[in-house]
Amino acid sequence: MPELPGRKVGIVACSGEELAEGTVTRLAALRVLQELRPGETVTICLPLFLAGGEGDRAFARFYPTIAIDGCDKRCAASATEQYSGKPAASVVVADLVSEHGLGRPEGARRLSESGRQAVEVTADRVADLVDELLGGQWNRRSGAFVEGAPATMTDQAPQAGCACGSAIPVQTVDVDGQAVSLAALPLIFEQFHGAGKAPGADVTRELLETVKIYNDVPAGIDEAYTVALAREYAAFCRQKGA
Amino acid sequence: MTPSERKVLVVPCSGIGKTYGTVSREAAYEVTEDLRPGTTGLVALSLLVLGDEDARAAVRAHPAVTIDGCKLACAAKMVHESGGHVAQGIAVLDVYRRNRELKPQGIAELNEGGILLAHAVAEEITAVVDDVLAGEEGSTHA
Repeated sequence: MPELPGRKVGIVACSGEELAEGTVTRLAALRVLQELRPGETVTICLPLFLAGGEGDRAFARFYPTIAIDGCDKRCAASATEQYSGKPAASVVVADLVSEHGLGRPEGARRLSESGRQAVEVTADRVADLVDELLGGQWNRRSGAFVEGAPATMTDQAPQAGCACGSAIPVQTVDVDGQAVSLAALPLIFEQFHGAGKAPGADVTRELLETVKIYNDVPAGIDEAYTVALAREYAAFCRQKGA
Repeated sequence: MTPSERKVLVVPCSGIGKTYGTVSREAAYEVTEDLRPGTTGLVALSLLVLGDEDARAAVRAHPAVTIDGCKLACAAKMVHESGGHVAQGIAVLDVYRRNRELKPQGIAELNEGGILLAHAVAEEITAVVDDVLAGEEGSTHA
């Protein structure tokens, strides 16, 4: 049965290969993903926002995302905002280096001692931001936090996550004449079908509740979503049965 | 790097979460720092994603060898989208298939197999660079 993506924080590093600070971003991101917050973070390669598909571009709307940049060109933060969604937080290695009074990182290929120190302070800052972001409730439709709402957590086995090649599946459905992209809908349908849930009023209500976990369904239009989900799920089941 | 310089650009993918991405980057460094430092230049993919004018101008002015760590081929696609010419696109996986004994492991740091695979990739890039520059030289000495 397919697993639905749980609540995690996305990390996008600029990875700027020509600068030592770019290497710092990549190694700091990996330290957070693999060691500091392995069960709570996921990453994607920045170029996939352009080279990938719609599911890749949904990344920063689906996950509250931290952009890690090496320099003030801020490629990761800017490109993430331009092609995916506004990052929930952003750090710049050059700023952290200055803030901590470290020497300038050197050696894009093999980091100097100051570069390795920069990896540590950057990773620590990002881990703190991950904790902060997991304390709020993220709206996956608008790509912003819901003010005053508590976090909704899911139980997930800890593992480092690279999202390349495993984009968030998105399906566009007609809701009362409007095309609406719903994140994770194909997985939800797969999961329901795999559990033997046949189309029907009760199942549609359950579908809507599940869809609401991953998407922002505006208040007052549950009925329109119910009609759309009932129609789409029936079509999905017909196709599976064919 | 000026447009009139005879150079080949090496553009590795920005693969962050998988070993082949690290191999692609290590190979790019080996070519641009060790094997052909005077005739090659490294371009960071993040700059092309951002649409940085200097980076775009560079890939339009010079042929590029792209190195991709997975089938999504971000490096090759970004060079194309930036208006550049990919003289050769190299897939790390293809090089590995020709060198099965070099099994890469590690992401932040490559194992010996990964370093040797990066070297094999670098050798292939170097051959392309030499061919491209020889071709350009031939065309200017008619």
